[in-house]
Amino acid sequence: MTDSLSSALATLRRRYGPEALRRGGVPEAAAVWPTGVPVLDGVLVPGGLPRGRLTLLAATARQGPSGRLSLLQALAATASRACDVGYVDLAGSLDPGFLADLGADLDACLVLTPGAGRWERGFVMARSLANAGLPWLAIALGCDQPPPASWEHALAALVEAVARHGAVCVIAAPAPPAAPLAYASSLTLACTAAGWQRAHGDVTGLRVRVATKKSKVHTPGAEAIVLLRYPRPYTVAEVVGLPTVVIPRPRADGAVALPQVVAAPG
Amino acid sequence: MRILCARYAHLGLVTALRRFPELRGEPVVVGGTPDLRLPVIAASPAAVAAGVREGMPLRQAQQLCTAAAFVPLDAEATASLRDEICAVLHRLAPAVEVSDAEALCDLSGSHAGYTDEGAWGVAVARALAVALDVEPPAVGIAGSRFVARLAAGQGRPGHIRRVRDGEETAFLAPLPLAALPVDPAITARLAGFGLDCLGAVAALSPGELQRQFGREGLEVHRLLRGEDGDGVHAPTAEQTWSERLVLASPVAQLEPLLQAARRCAIVLGDRLSDRSLAGGEVLVVFEVEEAEDVSAAAVPAAPTGNATETWTAVLSLLSELHPQSPVTAVRVELKRISSAAGRQADLLRPGDAARDSVAAAASRLSARFGETVARRPRLALDPGDLPERRFVWVPPVVAGARP
Repeated sequence: MTDSLSSALATLRRRYGPEALRRGGVPEAAAVWPTGVPVLDGVLVPGGLPRGRLTLLAATARQGPSGRLSLLQALAATASRACDVGYVDLAGSLDPGFLADLGADLDACLVLTPGAGRWERGFVMARSLANAGLPWLAIALGCDQPPPASWEHALAALVEAVARHGAVCVIAAPAPPAAPLAYASSLTLACTAAGWQRAHGDVTGLRVRVATKKSKVHTPGAEAIVLLRYPRPYTVAEVVGLPTVVIPRPRADGAVALPQVVAAPG
Repeated sequence: MRILCARYAHLGLVTALRRFPELRGEPVVVGGTPDLRLPVIAASPAAVAAGVREGMPLRQAQQLCTAAAFVPLDAEATASLRDEICAVLHRLAPAVEVSDAEALCDLSGSHAGYTDEGAWGVAVARALAVALDVEPPAVGIAGSRFVARLAAGQGRPGHIRRVRDGEETAFLAPLPLAALPVDPAITARLAGFGLDCLGAVAALSPGELQRQFGREGLEVHRLLRGEDGDGVHAPTAEQTWSERLVLASPVAQLEPLLQAARRCAIVLGDRLSDRSLAGGEVLVVFEVEEAEDVSAAAVPAAPTGNATETWTAVLSLLSELHPQSPVTAVRVELKRISSAAGRQADLLRPGDAARDSVAAAASRLSARFGETVARRPRLALDPGDLPERRFVWVPPVVAGARP
């Protein structure tokens, strides 16, 4: 560090206090909930979804499928096999039968239906359950986004409750994600539909490109494709996701190697 | 059923050694001074080696061990230590029975945090060793209370003796008749028949034992088969707990009263949670200066089992209290305290302990926003063709809630 830089830093600290300037260290470690899907736990987020933080599954396209709700329900189904799950259905699209097909333990699922577009009420309910000790919360937001002033305080209270109780909270939001949500989330996974999975002419699943747009727990920028297989009648529920082949992609300057996604087989 | 029995130094001796650490390793007799006509309550290993036994007169103990230090029993500290051990064990096992010299835990089922019964037992033993900090306990694990006790008695301090299912008879066979917890006249008569160990008695048929000793003979047979069926007896809870906060000066404002009531509720709720108990009735009393106390009581929809639930119940009562004069003290009472029926410590699945509080929160949300707001889906038995008929909605139910 040069003398001039040192003196400038000393001046700033003297003027604005010692806390005014800090070195950026490694991201703060957070306890994680492993999803059981290798591509999510290994590539996108180290170890799994963070506990005590908000995870945002954000759609990237305003129209058409993004896979965020299917991914949310698949994660909730996985979680229900290990702990109680609360599902706040603000999108009005939840089919408990689909959850059961995904292998959910419905006895462990508590579904809250505050009404389409009533985000404030939904966040208040989610906060109550987090304060009561519910370890896993899923919130599905619909496209009818109310004005932020009516729900951002409820969101802030939910963030505080989730942090205090170490709960996993995953929110699926339509595109574009509201600014308070994007700000409050510690992990934002952008979901883009990458095509239907077909077999014998039938749609059997959806490929979703998931990219880490924001991460307070790890370096953002990772990207992968997961395959959400739709459950079929008279068959055992499928595993939630299908990892794709990920090859490190050296950049031109060679500084950072981000994973390169190769299309999934089949 | 699997039961863990831990035998440790008498808690009166532990508290005495905590109070007088310089006596560790020395012969110590707990009970009082030798001139008192009282029995020995506990004795340290050095005193036991000199011949001192529990129950013998203190004067006799002094004659047997002249170097012993005689200390009185600190009943309050002993009870406090017993409660502390009870709280520690309740975090590890759903049913716990603690006395001054031994603790029994129900290890039936499986624990989410431990791979097998052995690891679970080790965790219990370690927790006890940390809480007692004098000598690690001797631990026995078996399928019945009787066999677990004997296994603990056969083990050494700091060791665990496990008797697997089906091995009870082999374990009991070489033990002497005196190990049977029955009338000494029965053991004397068994010895008169030439039976010198439990294995010889176990070889008798239940009919033979019944013919000789009646109902007690059948009991002996069941004990020796490890089939006593006598599980862990959770201690009978006190019927009422009370927490009182005397205010520094008489108060007429609502906010200090609210905070005082909240503090009382949290203290009581935490105590309930530690012991896996629940209160069936809540009473809040404002002690008023130079006037009759103002009180309100209610039976909550679900028994209160933790600080949050207790505070919620107390808060709903505060609006009914309208003291006409300044309040000098606030008292919160929990009545009809019993085991938290249907509630499980957080053992078998993460979040189970919070399940009732979650259901209670959902019930409150339903009461506030409408009955269809918070529900659990359940697969229908006869689903039919339509997707919406594949499941039915049921309201969340709090275990132990009164209809």
